[in-house]
Amino acid sequence: MRAAVLVSVALALGGCASHIASIRRVPDQTPAADNAAAAANAAAFAEAAAAESGNDSAHAAEEGQKNPEAQKNQEAQEAPPLLTPADAPPMYTYDPWERLNRFTYRFNARFDEAIFLPAADTYRRAPRPLRAGVHNFFGNLAEIDSIINYTLQWRLKYGLRSLGRLAINTTIGIGGLFDVAAKLKLPGTPTGFATTLAKWGMHPGPYLVIPLLGPSTLRDGVGYLADYGVGYGINVANLYRGNISWGLLVVNGIDQRANIDFRYYSGGSPFEYETIRFLYVRRRLIEDEGLRTKEPVKKAADENPAGK
Amino acid sequence: MTMSARLKLMPLAVALIATGALATESNEPSPPPVSGPAPVFDSTPAAGPVPGSGALVGLADSAGLRATVFGTPPQDMASLPAKVPLSEINIELPWRLPVPGILWFDSKLRVWLSAQDRPAPLAIVISGTGSDGNTKTMSVLRAALYGAGYHVLTMPSPTFPGFIVSASRTGVAGDLMQDGNDLYAAMQEIIAHLPRKVRITDIDVLGYSLGGANAAIVKSIDATEQKLKIHRVVMINPPVSLFSSVGRLDRLFAATIGPGDRAVELLYRRLYAQIANLYRASDRLELDENFLYGAAAATLKTDADFSAAIAMTFRLQLVDMFFIGDLYGKTGVITDPAHPPKVGDSLEDIQRDLRAKPFADYFTRVFAPYYLTRRPDATSASLIAANRLEIITDALHDDGDYYAQTSGNDLIINRRELSWLQDTLGSRIVVYDHGGHLGEIGDRRQVADMLDMLSGHWPRSAP
Repeated sequence: MRAAVLVSVALALGGCASHIASIRRVPDQTPAADNAAAAANAAAFAEAAAAESGNDSAHAAEEGQKNPEAQKNQEAQEAPPLLTPADAPPMYTYDPWERLNRFTYRFNARFDEAIFLPAADTYRRAPRPLRAGVHNFFGNLAEIDSIINYTLQWRLKYGLRSLGRLAINTTIGIGGLFDVAAKLKLPGTPTGFATTLAKWGMHPGPYLVIPLLGPSTLRDGVGYLADYGVGYGINVANLYRGNISWGLLVVNGIDQRANIDFRYYSGGSPFEYETIRFLYVRRRLIEDEGLRTKEPVKKAADENPAGK
Repeated sequence: MTMSARLKLMPLAVALIATGALATESNEPSPPPVSGPAPVFDSTPAAGPVPGSGALVGLADSAGLRATVFGTPPQDMASLPAKVPLSEINIELPWRLPVPGILWFDSKLRVWLSAQDRPAPLAIVISGTGSDGNTKTMSVLRAALYGAGYHVLTMPSPTFPGFIVSASRTGVAGDLMQDGNDLYAAMQEIIAHLPRKVRITDIDVLGYSLGGANAAIVKSIDATEQKLKIHRVVMINPPVSLFSSVGRLDRLFAATIGPGDRAVELLYRRLYAQIANLYRASDRLELDENFLYGAAAATLKTDADFSAAIAMTFRLQLVDMFFIGDLYGKTGVITDPAHPPKVGDSLEDIQRDLRAKPFADYFTRVFAPYYLTRRPDATSASLIAANRLEIITDALHDDGDYYAQTSGNDLIINRRELSWLQDTLGSRIVVYDHGGHLGEIGDRRQVADMLDMLSGHWPRSAP
């Protein structure tokens, strides 16, 4: 197994054999279904917008900036003050390990193109129920980590939901192969130690590109390591330390990849590293804002540069 | 939950910088009436007044701007097939220039094929400015054409970084004839390498936005060279004068966002705060794609918002082309020709500088110097003139196989340019009363008309 991984890595680094032209079948497109989904999505948003039309937070933010009076009223009604443009982190991102990160990013792109993506495309040809079973199985295992982390985050409602999901899907869902809980209006909302650290008020820290996993930050990287450690420590049914643990890790990776609609350098842009870094860190910072304020907690001290 | 969430941030892509980009990849639009800033680009004297150089340019109206950003509403879509097979073709072209190390990922041309399993006509579709051959707009056109029985080959724009690096003979994109020749040569290579089971009975070429102009030029080249025997061409929302269309866009940017990178930063800060506030107010746990679509709809409300999103989207597409042009042309605007950036070097400052540069700078500092050295008889004015559809007026007028679809409120052309298209093409152009730029693609009527044009049933005879 380890040898196979090494060979894969070597192939990825060397690039694939170069032919003048190569043709590769990719998953079919489903335009009719896509359009139906877009229509449903648009209808749902229209409904939500109609329900919330009285409460336009975006405009309120600008008003709050101009009018301290309005901001006071706002504060009286809701706990957190709205963000103003001045609260946004700068466009520069804290990336002290940039040179190393860039090389890792390039390695990831090549590995993805040579191995991960072809594997995921092959996997996508398997019957849908089979893939759903695999996906649900790993999702169910991850609920253990979610329960622990929701508890650490003191978001017990979600922790209980994860616990309920684990109980239902492991029993009625036959070891997690079927997501019965979702049909009972208990949708899966996984969390991890990275989010726990964020909830505890830790800043993302330096940007970090992790081999094979991709864009991250120091905080999030530590979080993933801890999540894996939890799995390894609990070692449910010897899945994490037994003979098949490597195989499971690979299948899990391929399943995850097959569910991500991302292609390295599909936009052809020379600035993809910069763009992804910018977006990843901004997204995490916005999610952190949500963590701080969704359940009223004391607002953390004003942070400075993006990620620092 | 390791990498899944990590990589899922592409949708967030342009969202923070230009929220509208999520909905469509809009290309070269032009502004609503702008009073303040002087024309940035059209100051280069051309023979006579440059189309679209007035203060009031383009046909933009409020509905047009909105349609440009959000595209055809799902309920107005033509019925599309349930399933479209798709293959990706990566091809190495023999005339490719040496690839700079930092552009290693663009060394092969990537195109997409949806093949019928019986003999069928081939429809080649060319993408809009800076875009690849697999955009959302492209998926809609592909589905419509495949559903009507065509093999469909979708190609990037010759201004797309992956095309410039893998298929351009100059590296300096934006010249209609040069780009047309590169495209034409690439098409021949691709068709020669298609699997034998793809049996082609006829070849038609389509394109949207700049791709529309590219398609027409390619057919005009083929008319003399006869290598592909291209039958019909449909241009969807084509520009008439490439440089006056993008010149308008520069003014739109200046008017709605402001000059320089400071203005970009202000726009970013505003969007960041808005999206963060929306996210905090929502009950979502994850900042996902669906949320961002909703955020885009909630954030973009006024004509100024739409205009800013359109201008920003285009500017970001330009940044790549500008950088690569400067690198290949060794014009030294942003990269030092003696010490070009190497793998591992940060490009952030370059990206930041380029974001603040209008298209006019690309023309005056990269494009014109490059082509003026290589074409001794040329002048700035003649380079601009050579980038108008007028260079093939006779073919467009006399050859009954050129067709066009556009909107009466398309941003990238003005009234005079629209009239020119109508006068030249006669009954072979249809002008919709809505849609803005590309916002009618996929609409029932647009699809039906496009298919009739391709099959020679246009104009429909009156009953």
